[in-house]
Amino acid sequence: MAGKLLRMDRRVIFVLIALATLIPLLRPIGLPIRISPEVKQVYDYIESLPPGSVFLLSLDFDPASKPELYPMAVALLNHAFKRDLRVIGMTLWVTGTGMAEKVVSGIASEHGKRRGVDYTFLGYSPGGTNVIINMGQDLAAAFPTDHYGERTADLPVMRGVTSLRQVNYVVSLAAGTPGVESWYVYGKEKYGFELGGGVTAVIAPGLYPFLDTGQINGLIGGLRGAAEYEILVGLKGKAVAGMDAQSATHFIIIGLILLCNLFYFLTPRVGSRSVGRAQNRPGSPREAGR
Amino acid sequence: MILFLRRTFPLILTFLFGVAGALQYYIPHPVSEAALTEVSVWLRIILGFAMILGIASLCHVHYAKIRTRVAGWGYSLVVYLSMMITVVVGVWSRGQEEGTGFGWIYTYALLALQGTMFAMLGFFVASAAFRAFRARSKEAAVLLVAAILMMFGRVPLGEYLIPMAGPVAGWLLSVVNTAARRGILIGISLGGIAMSVKIIFGIERSYLGGRD
Amino acid sequence: MAASVLIGAWVAAGLTLCMFSFLYKDNPFFRFGEHLYVGISMGYTIVRIYYDVMVKSLYTPVIQEGNMWLLVAAFLGLLVLTRFIPKVSWLSRISFAVIVGFGSGVAIPRIISSNILQQVQGTLKPILGNAGQSLFGMAQFNALLILIGVVTVLIYFFFSIEHKGPIQVAARIGIYFLMINFGAGFGYTVMARMSLLIGRFDDLILFGSRDYGYASVVLLGMIAFGLFMWERRSSVSPGPDQDPRNADSNARNEYPPQ
Repeated sequence: MAGKLLRMDRRVIFVLIALATLIPLLRPIGLPIRISPEVKQVYDYIESLPPGSVFLLSLDFDPASKPELYPMAVALLNHAFKRDLRVIGMTLWVTGTGMAEKVVSGIASEHGKRRGVDYTFLGYSPGGTNVIINMGQDLAAAFPTDHYGERTADLPVMRGVTSLRQVNYVVSLAAGTPGVESWYVYGKEKYGFELGGGVTAVIAPGLYPFLDTGQINGLIGGLRGAAEYEILVGLKGKAVAGMDAQSATHFIIIGLILLCNLFYFLTPRVGSRSVGRAQNRPGSPREAGR
Repeated sequence: MILFLRRTFPLILTFLFGVAGALQYYIPHPVSEAALTEVSVWLRIILGFAMILGIASLCHVHYAKIRTRVAGWGYSLVVYLSMMITVVVGVWSRGQEEGTGFGWIYTYALLALQGTMFAMLGFFVASAAFRAFRARSKEAAVLLVAAILMMFGRVPLGEYLIPMAGPVAGWLLSVVNTAARRGILIGISLGGIAMSVKIIFGIERSYLGGRD
Repeated sequence: MAASVLIGAWVAAGLTLCMFSFLYKDNPFFRFGEHLYVGISMGYTIVRIYYDVMVKSLYTPVIQEGNMWLLVAAFLGLLVLTRFIPKVSWLSRISFAVIVGFGSGVAIPRIISSNILQQVQGTLKPILGNAGQSLFGMAQFNALLILIGVVTVLIYFFFSIEHKGPIQVAARIGIYFLMINFGAGFGYTVMARMSLLIGRFDDLILFGSRDYGYASVVLLGMIAFGLFMWERRSSVSPGPDQDPRNADSNARNEYPPQ
């Protein structure tokens, strides 16, 4: 019986996951979300910046990571515009350009900000780490014009900003490399700006060593981090809405893992000498692929 | 002479640019800073051309499929057609997304396709967890318990049921995870530096491609 | 609602469902979506390279500002493309030598400083620099644990000496630290993947509303019917134009796209 359950069609699991995602999205409960210190640190730093400070948001992700990082971008931009910071948007990921432009200009227009005066979107430039070095040396050389074709050096929002040295705070919303680590290694390390990170949950655990040493001053990790930031800025956005579905799917997966281990220990072991049979045993690599 | 240009000259260039790149960090003289600025601009442009190389390789693969009419060649035609339509609409829109056809393709096609491609992994993670995540050894049991604690503690329902779950997951992440990740990071960095030194001194040459 | 938005919603819902149809099994809807994705990505990248590199970083500075030095970069860039001409493909080595050489050189001091020295400092400082503080606080315990973790993980990865005696014990401790790290990684990966799923479902729910003409629901029915017809057709005859992958479609189904 346990063996049979272990070998059940994976599409049953797919249906379970689909329902666990769908039902909470349709009927949300709104469970409370605790704020982590690492997310609060990013919020506090932006709060501490005086109006007119330069805030650079690098949206280093593509559509594949939109559900996690887009809500972070929305929350951060809302916060920055509320604080009257000068916002510079950009991306190091080519297929993220359209999305990045849309979120920067969209939130800016919601706050009545003028392009070129209160904010700008520099666009995309290839080269990843080279772009960061280039911006650290001479920002106008890295982006001679912004995404809309205006000369970067002539923009009022860029007044007094010739390189990354004059940027007060950089936040990289990253889904991989180039991302937060690149901004630290090739940027902050030499040019001295303060750096925060907002990343997908997959890469968040890898950035804790940088958080521990203060190399980044805060970290927003995954949809959970985005939801925490939304709460901090008083915005009930997509991330908060998705957290109930996160709870449901996580509990389904925990249940599946516990069940699979229960079945595994209940299933009589086949003699390990019989290689062919052992390969088909529940828990074997071949079984795992079913 | 031709052999020198083919083999030795690229190695000399690698060495010169490598040593200059490394020393520049320690000599922040205006001249070296200006050189760093110029070379980093160059590299951005060269890497732009390198991206064309990648796209052209992909085009070549699909062209070969269409030319030889291999099974499923119709899908390669889809690749070509969609690529050409996107390029034409993109140039027509002057590369701007806001309120243009190019932006429409991006928002309604590319976003949906790429987003879903990776969203499907959610289903496979669940399926794989059910089939393969077993406590078959002490190490696997530790991994399993850590994973469950993390999943339990990082979602609102887990913290609602057991309020301590959140801080425990946070501690695991910021202490135990940090320790292991730092060890891995230092190891990888040492390996990366060794590889860079090998490249600069011409010991590692695979990036130059085969032959000669 | 603008017609372009409505049509867009139907296209997005349709393409999303085409891709999700892979969950049933590999099928023409999925393959169409997969190839469309590749084509549009390539097209989008070409347009961006044209405007962001050729126009913004090359044409404008050279023509408008007379920065002729950039022609050197353009020449090196063109050399990269000689890879396609077998007789002169070796010329591309010159460009790759510049890219790889400079990249390696620039990386060395920066990685030493930020990924090694500062990480080592971050490990030792909390232990050494706590004068005047309690020796037995939670912070000290955590700092000690991090030190033990870093050292034992590094010992585990150090294969130049045989893992025997105390080294073996240390390596074993390192393994446990790594396992907790992998467990945390798994937990966070689940969160990441589920977030992506939530994002797509969110869009499908939106497009399934009355405002969008129930696009998701209608298209789900159409794709399900299409899959049913395709199944029927393939069970009757495999057909000469069918992708041979079909014969091994189960094998393809085994592995999710990466």
